[in-house]
Amino acid sequence: MPLFEGLGSGGEKTAVIVDLGAAYTKCGFAGETGPRFIIPSEIKRAGSPEAVRVVQYNINTEELYSILKEFVHLLYFRHLLVNPRDRRVVIVESVLCPSHFRETLSRVFFKHFEVPSVLFAPSHLMSVMTLGIQSALVMDCGYTETLIYEGVPILSAWEALPMGGKAIHSVCGITMLVFSSALVDSIPEDVVEDIKVRTCFVSDLQRGMKIQEARFNLDGSAERPAPPPDVEYPLDGQKILHVKGSIRDSVAEMLFEQDNEEKSIATLLLDTLVKCPIDTRKVLSENLVIIGGTSMLPGFLHRLLSEIRSLVEKPKYRDALATKSFRIHSPPAKPNCTAWLGGAIFGALQDILGSRSVSRDYYSETGRIPDWCCLSAPLPDSVYEAGKMPPPLMKRAFSTEK
Amino acid sequence: MATLLQPEKVLYLVRGEKKIRVPLSQLYFCRYCSELRSLECVSHEVDSHFCPSCLENMPSAEAKLKKNRCANCFDCPCCMHTLSTRATNIPAPLPDDPTKTTMKKAYYLACGFCRWTSRDVGMADKSVASGGWQEPENPHTQRINKLIEYYQQLAQREKLERDRKKLARRRPFMPQAFSQHTIHVVEKYGLGTRLQRQRSGAPISALYGLSLKEGEDQKEITIESAQALDEVEPLPEDYYTRPVNLPEVTTLRQRLLQPDFQPAGASQLHPRHKHLLMKRSLRCRKCEHNLSKPEFNPTSIKFKIQLVAVSYIPEVRIMSIPNLRHLKESQVLLTLTNPVENITHVSLYTCEEGDPDDINSTAKVLVPSKELVLAGKDAAAEYDELAEPQGFQDDPDVVAFRKSNKIGFFIKVIPQREEGDVTVAFKLRHDFRNLAAPIRPTEEGEATSEAIWLTHHVELSLGPLAT
Repeated sequence: MPLFEGLGSGGEKTAVIVDLGAAYTKCGFAGETGPRFIIPSEIKRAGSPEAVRVVQYNINTEELYSILKEFVHLLYFRHLLVNPRDRRVVIVESVLCPSHFRETLSRVFFKHFEVPSVLFAPSHLMSVMTLGIQSALVMDCGYTETLIYEGVPILSAWEALPMGGKAIHSVCGITMLVFSSALVDSIPEDVVEDIKVRTCFVSDLQRGMKIQEARFNLDGSAERPAPPPDVEYPLDGQKILHVKGSIRDSVAEMLFEQDNEEKSIATLLLDTLVKCPIDTRKVLSENLVIIGGTSMLPGFLHRLLSEIRSLVEKPKYRDALATKSFRIHSPPAKPNCTAWLGGAIFGALQDILGSRSVSRDYYSETGRIPDWCCLSAPLPDSVYEAGKMPPPLMKRAFSTEK
Repeated sequence: MATLLQPEKVLYLVRGEKKIRVPLSQLYFCRYCSELRSLECVSHEVDSHFCPSCLENMPSAEAKLKKNRCANCFDCPCCMHTLSTRATNIPAPLPDDPTKTTMKKAYYLACGFCRWTSRDVGMADKSVASGGWQEPENPHTQRINKLIEYYQQLAQREKLERDRKKLARRRPFMPQAFSQHTIHVVEKYGLGTRLQRQRSGAPISALYGLSLKEGEDQKEITIESAQALDEVEPLPEDYYTRPVNLPEVTTLRQRLLQPDFQPAGASQLHPRHKHLLMKRSLRCRKCEHNLSKPEFNPTSIKFKIQLVAVSYIPEVRIMSIPNLRHLKESQVLLTLTNPVENITHVSLYTCEEGDPDDINSTAKVLVPSKELVLAGKDAAAEYDELAEPQGFQDDPDVVAFRKSNKIGFFIKVIPQREEGDVTVAFKLRHDFRNLAAPIRPTEEGEATSEAIWLTHHVELSLGPLAT
């Protein structure tokens, strides 16, 4: 435990840090080295047998409000075991989160749970905080999308691709149904996820290229490299699902295949670099940070690096990017908890947290959370030392300066 | 007929932020506000922590220290069941005589459900029954603590800057010689401690006291930035050809139970201490009084404060439903139970036209117009076989039967729709004596408890029409 936390130290209680992801939510307290719990972002309702996903952007406000309320209730009273009224909240979230979702979430926290203050922190910025460097190129490979972002935020240079764990699940599920002995009509998603986590992996570049060629089979002569052994996966204690070896290595290829627009995860990175101002490119390319659960697939990082290095030689990028060196950081946490850890580090800074959060009084006066594109919110008086601290997060007044 | 007793058949309306229709058994009654409250309109608070397997209460300070985990109980990392400590006898050499061996007890953890043992992950047997098991430590702890210290230092610096800027603006009383720039320079370079002591204005000297200390301290915590790696380890060659031993690979759920390590192999799955549960107390949001406060002792199911609605509000239950036909009048038998010990007068009203609460009813209902009188609840009544007749004059058309504090009465229902379930609604008005808060001193005796009349909106779902 950090030095400043003690039973009789007085002062504020540690803040609650929540990272609401599309698939999993990480929750815990500030100043700790890891989240207390990583739980699936869903709630079980009495009516339906399937769990309801919490992070949904398309449902109406009332329904979202009740789902979020139930979920946050579970977080506080089953996992964190603290009173909501006592502790500030830091929510680590993706920049692409719609305002409507953010507003509903803050309404749940302020109106129903009466927390003292809430701070919305962008997940990419938080991941950079775990490293102690000034700027980095952060790629978040999560469930619904892969998103790239800069620390010292250069907001104009972000890229996203709707290619993440969910896409892998659907491809994996379908392929398995087609190839394997179809004993079941459909395989539930958590089984697919389990199979993906336990048996699938990402091949290295040569092998991956061969698999892709064999799939598209343009010349008809490409041969698929020998698949890894099959796996027998027990289902429900009675049936056995034969997972063909070819599925194991080919599903992850989907992340690296270039679709019609020639976009894949690796090109995402390079496109972002191209969009950045020239003098930052070298710094950024040498400070790559990959976070997100999908990046924990075995072989992912190695493959990503090799893909980037091979793509840089292609004519599209060779002239645009002068830099050829790429380096990856390894943050002091697992990739799916890195953003949470950054939030926890930030949450341990009690004074700053106090000044940058949206307090309950402010919320009850104005009735809304200032958004990062909102210019009517007054800028804070605190001047930040350029390069040392991240710019003010509360009002989301990101500057487009370097 | 047990289906008629299901709680969802009779719903009471709660007027909170949202209008919620909930069975009476799930509601609370704030007797200071004299209103019904549901779980949505009360604030929940954590009352006490306890371990679900050893049922030991844990004071909240200790719970915070132990990260809400029990000190003695462990969870199986494979199946999340509670681990039990087993003992074996192993031969061990005597401390003073190495040649002789004696049987010593060695303890290990085992799961009764999935047969996992602590020996599977390589944890050595311990010689003490409890307290010997340690959880592995996160290897990144040091680095993270250093990062936190570094950022806290930056944060302090920023706060100082901010405070100084704030104070710099409201400085009418400062002598002209010390302009903002001079002070800025002075502080930065720490010139002339004597000059600084001559400052006027207590808050400013306090601030400079801080900067002085920092200047003297000179111990700036710097951290080395993380080094980026050029190369990442590739997958081992045999990964492509090695068959997967599925029981040896951890599932996602098992991994996520240990967020710090998330091991991929089952041989690295260490057991964790069991997570605690908590007891919850409820508080009315308007008057901040406690509605429900459980006992401190984890083994006790009683409550210190239990203001549940069923002990204050008369409860309506459906006793029998005849065949309901479209547009035909039928009689439904309901029972009304009086939870309090004094006589309660209940009157029922139909909902008026255009009542905003009345959105679900699909049938017309005719309720008895006379006031119903309910006897008080007498705890000894069930043992008293020679119960005296209660002396209430009941209209046999309205009241079907009467038994201690319960009466059965008829309502007439005329379903208005041809299909679907029949739902009726009416208003229940009863008198409530607030024995809780004596406003006037108790010299006046029982007269202090005045009766206030409360009205509740009740909805009954009587099921489908008879075909």
